[in-house]
Amino acid sequence: MVISGLATGSIYALMALALVIVYNATRALNFAQGEMLMVSAFLAWTAQRAFGLPFWASIVVAIGGAALLGFIVERVIVRRSPTATHWDVLIITLGLSLVLRALAGMVWSHDEFPFPSLFSNRPVVVGPVRLAPVSLGIIGASLSLMLALYVLFTRTRLGRAMRAVAQNPRAARLMGVSVERMSSISWVLAAMVGAVAGVLVAPVVFLSTKMGLIVISGFTAAVLGGFGSMPGAVAGGMLLGVIENLAPLYLPSAIRYAVPFLLLIGILTVRPAGLLGRATTRKV
Amino acid sequence: MRAQLELHDVSVSYGQRRALEDVSLTVGAGEIVALLGANGSGKSTTLRTISGLVRPSRGRIAYEGRDITTWQPDGIVAAGVGHVPEGREIFSEFTVLENLLVGGHTAPAREIPARLQRALAMFPVLRERQRQPAGTLSGGEQQMLAIARALMAAPRVLLLDEPSLGLAPRLAREIFRMIERINAAGVTVLLVEQNARRALAVAARGYVLETGRIVMTGASSALAADPRVRAAYLGG
Ligand SMILES: Nc1ncnc2c1ncn2[C@@H]1O[C@H](COP(=O)(O)OP(=O)(O)OP(=O)(O)O)[C@@H](O)[C@H]1O
Ligand SMILES: [Mg+2]
Repeated sequence: MVISGLATGSIYALMALALVIVYNATRALNFAQGEMLMVSAFLAWTAQRAFGLPFWASIVVAIGGAALLGFIVERVIVRRSPTATHWDVLIITLGLSLVLRALAGMVWSHDEFPFPSLFSNRPVVVGPVRLAPVSLGIIGASLSLMLALYVLFTRTRLGRAMRAVAQNPRAARLMGVSVERMSSISWVLAAMVGAVAGVLVAPVVFLSTKMGLIVISGFTAAVLGGFGSMPGAVAGGMLLGVIENLAPLYLPSAIRYAVPFLLLIGILTVRPAGLLGRATTRKV
Repeated sequence: MRAQLELHDVSVSYGQRRALEDVSLTVGAGEIVALLGANGSGKSTTLRTISGLVRPSRGRIAYEGRDITTWQPDGIVAAGVGHVPEGREIFSEFTVLENLLVGGHTAPAREIPARLQRALAMFPVLRERQRQPAGTLSGGEQQMLAIARALMAAPRVLLLDEPSLGLAPRLAREIFRMIERINAAGVTVLLVEQNARRALAVAARGYVLETGRIVMTGASSALAADPRVRAAYLGG
């Protein structure tokens, strides 16, 4: 139960990371992050079905397609509206999510499709516990990606520059950082992280145009962790996944899908800065 | 003397508000030039315009013979113009070391270690506090960090915006000694200061801004002796 909660949680964590990466670079919320994930998963599926590519190659297609989509969205929408407020960008990405879902429905229909998994279905038995390889695979792959992101953001020039922009864009400019380039890279990177999450989650939830709703859980996870904090996003995702999996044990099982909303409302009223967030993030 | 940085009739507005009007000034290679003026006279705007953070509505900016008026800030930094902004604007969540590394964003990777050592040798307090979050430094240490961070890009021209603001006199003296050392190492300096007396003591020449216009210019000694400058900026 906890393991499968952590697996769901890793997906939420990746989603939350994608949202936070874009938010830190541009102070904008990308509401279309979920639909971008959905489109990437469909791309992988199409690559397998229509073009007969092997699984690993379809993942490359999904990640590459997501990167291109992220790049285009940033260029065409975000960059073109420099005078738009963050509020405007939020509405724009909300609109984009509807458009992407409609387009995906036209191309792939609104049906559900089974999505093959990298990981076998035979449970792994460790002593008295039986573990689903899917869960372990999701957790392992997510943790590897998180580790890679950690190294990128703390050990490389690019990652440091992105964090500098998040703290103070004007000072970052004076260090010779191109804030525009960082915005572009953030959108591409977030889309790629979302694509990995999509390919990991699709075998579990089935492939469908409704997949994009996962953005709400990602958002909740990010808020739980104190929006803007990357370690917070990971912790928030894991926590949300576990709570969501355990909640039906103690509460009516129908409550499960309301858990993110209840948590979101709870955290916003009780501790708006998030679990790991700073207490005073708002400057007066 | 060869002009390294030149502003020709530069005008800047923030929306409807005119902040600079036909400002022309020249900074020669190797000089320290002071830019003086009361609060809101447009000193910071002048520096921001040179760095490309603010776009002039009129006029031209030349750096080492190239017209940089329409360049992006990252290109201007990469070309060798460093800027230590008003209020320091260090990255307070970063450690001292990370601040310096971001300062070297435009530097070739193989030069970073040597530049880091040079910066830490110049500011020993920073060496002691390398791993500390920059937000925990005192005001004087933050100013030193802001200067050291700009030096990581190995600028040929350094724009300094009120580096002694809010510092105790002893620290302010130390900062001015640093500025002279940096200049002695071959870096041209354009220095904005409230502390006109100290600024004129280190600068060879100066300009005086008043509500967005240059109203006076000359050798530091002449400015320091001018009755109007004395009345307005040197306390009589
Ligand atoms: N971002 C901005 N938006 C609108 N007006 C601005 C902005 N920045 C500066 N101004 C105005 O432009 C004028 C020049 O400001 P600037 O900051 O360049 O002055 P300054 O000489 O540096 O002053 P100080 O000594 O207070 O630092 C002032 O009237 C100021 O109110
Ligand atoms: Mg100023």
